[in-house]
Amino acid sequence: MSVFGIERSRSLWHLILAPTIWAIHFCVTYGMTAIWCERAPAASGDLRLWILIVTAVALAMILGVAWRAWRQWDYTDDYDYEHDGPTIEDRREFLGHAGFLLAVVSVIGVIYVALPAAFVGSCG
Amino acid sequence: MSTTWGGGRIEDETFVSAEGEHGPYGIYPPTEDMLNEPVDPEVSKAQEDRLRRAWAAPKGWKVISAVNNEFVGKWYCLTAFSFMLCAGILALLMRVQLAVPENEFLSADRFNQFFTMHGSAMMFLFAVPMFEALSILLLPEILRARDMPFPRLSAYGYWCFLIGGIFVMSSVLFDAAPSSGWFMYPPLSTIEEGVGPDIWLLGLSFIEVASIAAAVELIVGVVKCRPPGMRVNLMPLYAWYVLVVGVMILFAFPPLIAGDFLFEMQRSFDWPFFDPERGGDPLLWQHLFWIFGHPEVYIVFLPSIALAAMIIPTAAQRPIVGYNWIVLSAVGVGFLSFGLWVHHMFTTGLPMLSLGFFSAASEAVVIPTGVQLFAFVATLMVGRVKMILPMLWIAGAMAVFTAGGLTGVMIALAPFDWQVHDTYFIVAHLHYTLFGGMIFPIIGGVYYYYPFFTKKMMSERLGRWSFWLIFTGFNLTFLPMHWTGLAGMPRRVYSYPGGIGWDLPNMISTVGAFVTAAGVAVFAWDLLRPKSHQPRAPRNPWKAGTLEWADDPNDEQWGVRSVPFITTRYPLWQQPKILERIDAGRYYLPDAQEGLRETIITSAVDARPQSVTAVTGPAWCTIFAAIFTGGAFIFPTFSWYLPAIISGAFAIACVIYWLWTSTAQVPAAPSKDVSLGLRLPVYVSGNKAPGWWGVFISMLGDATAFASLIFGVFFYWTSSPDFPPEGSAHADPIWIAGAAVLYALAWLFVRTARGVNRAGAVTTGRALLVAAPLAALGAGAALCWSLIALDPTSHAYPAMMWAVAVWTCVHTAAGVIMMCYCLAGTIFGKLTPRYDADLWNTTLFWHFHGTSAIIACAVIGWLPRVLA
Repeated sequence: MSVFGIERSRSLWHLILAPTIWAIHFCVTYGMTAIWCERAPAASGDLRLWILIVTAVALAMILGVAWRAWRQWDYTDDYDYEHDGPTIEDRREFLGHAGFLLAVVSVIGVIYVALPAAFVGSCG
Repeated sequence: MSTTWGGGRIEDETFVSAEGEHGPYGIYPPTEDMLNEPVDPEVSKAQEDRLRRAWAAPKGWKVISAVNNEFVGKWYCLTAFSFMLCAGILALLMRVQLAVPENEFLSADRFNQFFTMHGSAMMFLFAVPMFEALSILLLPEILRARDMPFPRLSAYGYWCFLIGGIFVMSSVLFDAAPSSGWFMYPPLSTIEEGVGPDIWLLGLSFIEVASIAAAVELIVGVVKCRPPGMRVNLMPLYAWYVLVVGVMILFAFPPLIAGDFLFEMQRSFDWPFFDPERGGDPLLWQHLFWIFGHPEVYIVFLPSIALAAMIIPTAAQRPIVGYNWIVLSAVGVGFLSFGLWVHHMFTTGLPMLSLGFFSAASEAVVIPTGVQLFAFVATLMVGRVKMILPMLWIAGAMAVFTAGGLTGVMIALAPFDWQVHDTYFIVAHLHYTLFGGMIFPIIGGVYYYYPFFTKKMMSERLGRWSFWLIFTGFNLTFLPMHWTGLAGMPRRVYSYPGGIGWDLPNMISTVGAFVTAAGVAVFAWDLLRPKSHQPRAPRNPWKAGTLEWADDPNDEQWGVRSVPFITTRYPLWQQPKILERIDAGRYYLPDAQEGLRETIITSAVDARPQSVTAVTGPAWCTIFAAIFTGGAFIFPTFSWYLPAIISGAFAIACVIYWLWTSTAQVPAAPSKDVSLGLRLPVYVSGNKAPGWWGVFISMLGDATAFASLIFGVFFYWTSSPDFPPEGSAHADPIWIAGAAVLYALAWLFVRTARGVNRAGAVTTGRALLVAAPLAALGAGAALCWSLIALDPTSHAYPAMMWAVAVWTCVHTAAGVIMMCYCLAGTIFGKLTPRYDADLWNTTLFWHFHGTSAIIACAVIGWLPRVLA
């Protein structure tokens, strides 16, 4: 997979892929809720189902990113987590490591944002 | 910790073959043998003379035409600091007024002006500009670049800031300052008499434009001006933070600029964007303001904490622990902080579910924010900490910020927020975060970097006095405010009745404010007192490991004697002999053979050398451009539209003169020797050129502003039942379709012109560059004509359509000027098939503008018919 034709291991765009998915998920959930509650407040049950679906899709995508970042980090190869050398390997593993950590934060962020829909039953 | 290089693992990068005169060729990376070879002292001396001549600053009063980052950065810092002192004095006067109940020291109106100006000035004239000022000063030194990529742009930004800042700040002296709070909520501010809100809107928009210019400059600086070898995994953390904050500015400021634009249209021409009587909605302003306003808090916080990330390893005398975690934290905070804005609007009656989302996101942002604090603590725990004075301030910052963060967790919960909304509890919370997250680290940073700027040390004794005064005074002022707030005292009241439990905490706060002020005065005296009798500070007095401390010991203006090859995160600790090699001119670009100011451009991820770019030198046109731009923003405050237009035209002329005479000049030779066996091209176009990146990044910000306007259209549609109103006239379908087609043609023409010009068909290129602006002008005219039947003052719907059209047409005008600039370039030999950077940049502008113009046509011509 490549973004703008740049391979994963040398791309800053891949680094921000997971939080970008978080941002899109956030906007979609918020936008959906705003429109739904304004136009059809009675049918909020459907809204919560849709939030669940959107959240599942976002989580699946972030997990995909996380898996690829984990592979790129290649931690179990040499258990290196510093990546402060001047080599291509260091740079590749650094971007993988940072990308993986960002994916973890994004998973937490997506779950947090979706949680209110589990507890709040109506538009109120 | 030790690292080796040149041992084969990075050999695969060597430019093995000559790529001709279009690309870099020669040896890279340099071998240890090459770096060990001594430089002939005679040669070195001759090089130094040439460098010194190229980088000489103007003498005497003409020094104000200097554009070097050292000069502009220092002026910028001092200006921002003086605005802070002004805003601080306003705060003291307010505290005097609030010291006792039913005080008559200030009138209600003057009190309103003071709190409005205190907040606005601290945010817009101090916090954000201070980040830009410090970064302009520090970033090139941390990266050991000769200068910022666009020095004249930083100078222009500075002069805009100075003019705009004086204009806004001085209004308080004429009893004409804005008085509806630093967030200017309509409808209070739309109906306010006098010029106050106009001063706020236009003056601060002017400064926001300068802020975005600085952000563009800093992003390009981090991405393209790193020294050879400094891959992203070796970048100093400060550079990571600057990159993140620069990008945040691009996405946070434009919504406010779009909001200012709508707001000023309502104030000046009665277009009813925020007037519910005519289909408008004041909440749109709140959304646009806080989409800016909340990220702004992190825009202020992150660069200050970046200073901590530089000071802590020095204090602990070891590399930072958890570099990757801090990068995660900076990037993560950058994203999550955009999902918080509605927590300022919990009491506006949005759906409960929406409040939940923002409450949850507000709690989530704590995670990355906390990660970096833990990384700092870990570094301190495993290092041998010397409690140097800057570290004392950082320690104070962490304590105060954490306290502010904890109250933040409380008020992120909507039910708690409803209780304390608009009370002094919020005042306490925001001052804890901003003092801890900004003031303390910045002062620590000033103590840390002062010997680097001035070659003198600040006083250890005064510094400790200042710290304990500010720390005590701060807590004395703001800790009781939590109580005052919980006891029910609302914000922004100019007086209060006695005997309801507010008297004592208010008196304590006032005393504390003056203790804080005493500490600030001690600091200011220490900063500004003459130090000519003091001994010169040693080079690298704190024994730091990062490159800024490789500053030249002889006060030379050239930035760095030679641009080093970097293989570690802390080169002064981990790369032996680096200092002597830099000083001897052993590394890259040790000479200025052509007498030009130059710096090395490297690739974005791996920092491989790509080209040498000439950077601009001292100039007056930037100052004139800033003065005329100021006129274009300031005259409309008093409804003097003709002088504003004339002033704007002069500003454009100054900018064109500046670009034409000093950027993308056709070079004498296509490439140059940069030492260590490497030749680099001196002219690149397209995405290897810093100018292209500058346009790309500016246009990202611009696209955000456009997206905010489109958000406005959808916002009205969801929030009001009659948008578009029934039976309302719509844009003429024929004209709007014609506009879309003409925009597409203009875009196609300019893109084709780039291709055929590159292929050598200069005449065809010129013909296309004649056709393109004509098509664009036709498109703009058709767009406006299609709306001629809609009266923008009648309802928010036609007003919004007109706003999108006006926004688009202003950009079309800029695009037409750029096309004509390229046409003139091909005629007068500034733009050739080989040297075509201007045409690449113009095409890039049109990629953005073409897209947004066609979207605008769809939103105006098609969307309302569907929504209705």
